[in-house]
Amino acid sequence: MAQALAISPTRMELMKLRRRASLAKRGHELLREKMDALIIEFFEVLRRVREVRAKAFDQLSSAYKSLSMCMARMGTIETQQAANESKRELQIEASTRLVMGVLTPTLEVRKVERSALERGYSLYTTSPLLDEVARNFEVSLRLLIELAELEESARVIAGELERTKRRANALEYIIIPRLLDSIKFIVMRLDEMERENFSRMKRIKAMMERRG
Amino acid sequence: MKMDRLLKVELERLNLHLPKERISLYEALSSAKPHVVAKNGSIHSFKREELELLGKMVGEEAQKKLRLPILISIEPRLGRGAARITGDVEVKVVSQLLGKEGRGDELIIYRPEIALLRRKLPTTSQYLFMCTG
Repeated sequence: MAQALAISPTRMELMKLRRRASLAKRGHELLREKMDALIIEFFEVLRRVREVRAKAFDQLSSAYKSLSMCMARMGTIETQQAANESKRELQIEASTRLVMGVLTPTLEVRKVERSALERGYSLYTTSPLLDEVARNFEVSLRLLIELAELEESARVIAGELERTKRRANALEYIIIPRLLDSIKFIVMRLDEMERENFSRMKRIKAMMERRG
Repeated sequence: MKMDRLLKVELERLNLHLPKERISLYEALSSAKPHVVAKNGSIHSFKREELELLGKMVGEEAQKKLRLPILISIEPRLGRGAARITGDVEVKVVSQLLGKEGRGDELIIYRPEIALLRRKLPTTSQYLFMCTG
């Protein structure tokens, strides 16, 4: 390991490596904390996705049911004609929010639900069932916009979670063990050198005593 | 050396989402598009419903003192899963939201409480990773 890092067994190098190991450990701790926080965020978004998706499905199901009823009562062509008359543009305010460096979308819709008068079709020639259909689809639309925001947030948070996990694992299983191995190698080498020096000194001392 | 640089970049990247400058709740409430600019230049918007919830919790004087986003400071020396909230008004608001007793200008919260706080204030709170200590 130490050879792979190409290090020289000196005290200076040992100090540098110890500093790097402490930085790596601190980095690893913080990345783990970030991972924990991302997991909290991810599960929270997932919980809301499940909640909103169930609501949207229920709402869409009742919207399609009321559409069928309306078509049966008013007729398909008349319903389609009324739908064409009530076309609209939806104002969505798209901004971003940051979740630990992850840019997640925020969609805010001013007003999706409209009153029967605002919808644009004739109230005189249409059935009240059509109002119910329109209202149901408007509520569905609001829920679908919310769902889109949440699903995209879940996707980007999951991506960041994966990246953070990879980095934390690289630190935990490759970089930190490599640094610790190098430190161990230098400590061992320095101890060895000290022992060599000690025995050399002893021999020199013994030789000098023999001569003297 | 390359590894040191990579590690430093990684540690710096942890806090790039923090705002260059925090704004008060009062300013946020009176702004048409309440937001802050992060260190990396991106925009972090606050949801109006959250601002209104906070506005109801504190008086007008405290609205000027409450700086947004509220920082959830993660410090390794506190132990895994613990975080610190600092600031008089911030502590008051967070302890009220969590139903926890909080006095002074410092409050320690733990993982389930962090999750609850983030659920209640997803845009008006942010994580801060303390690299020192």
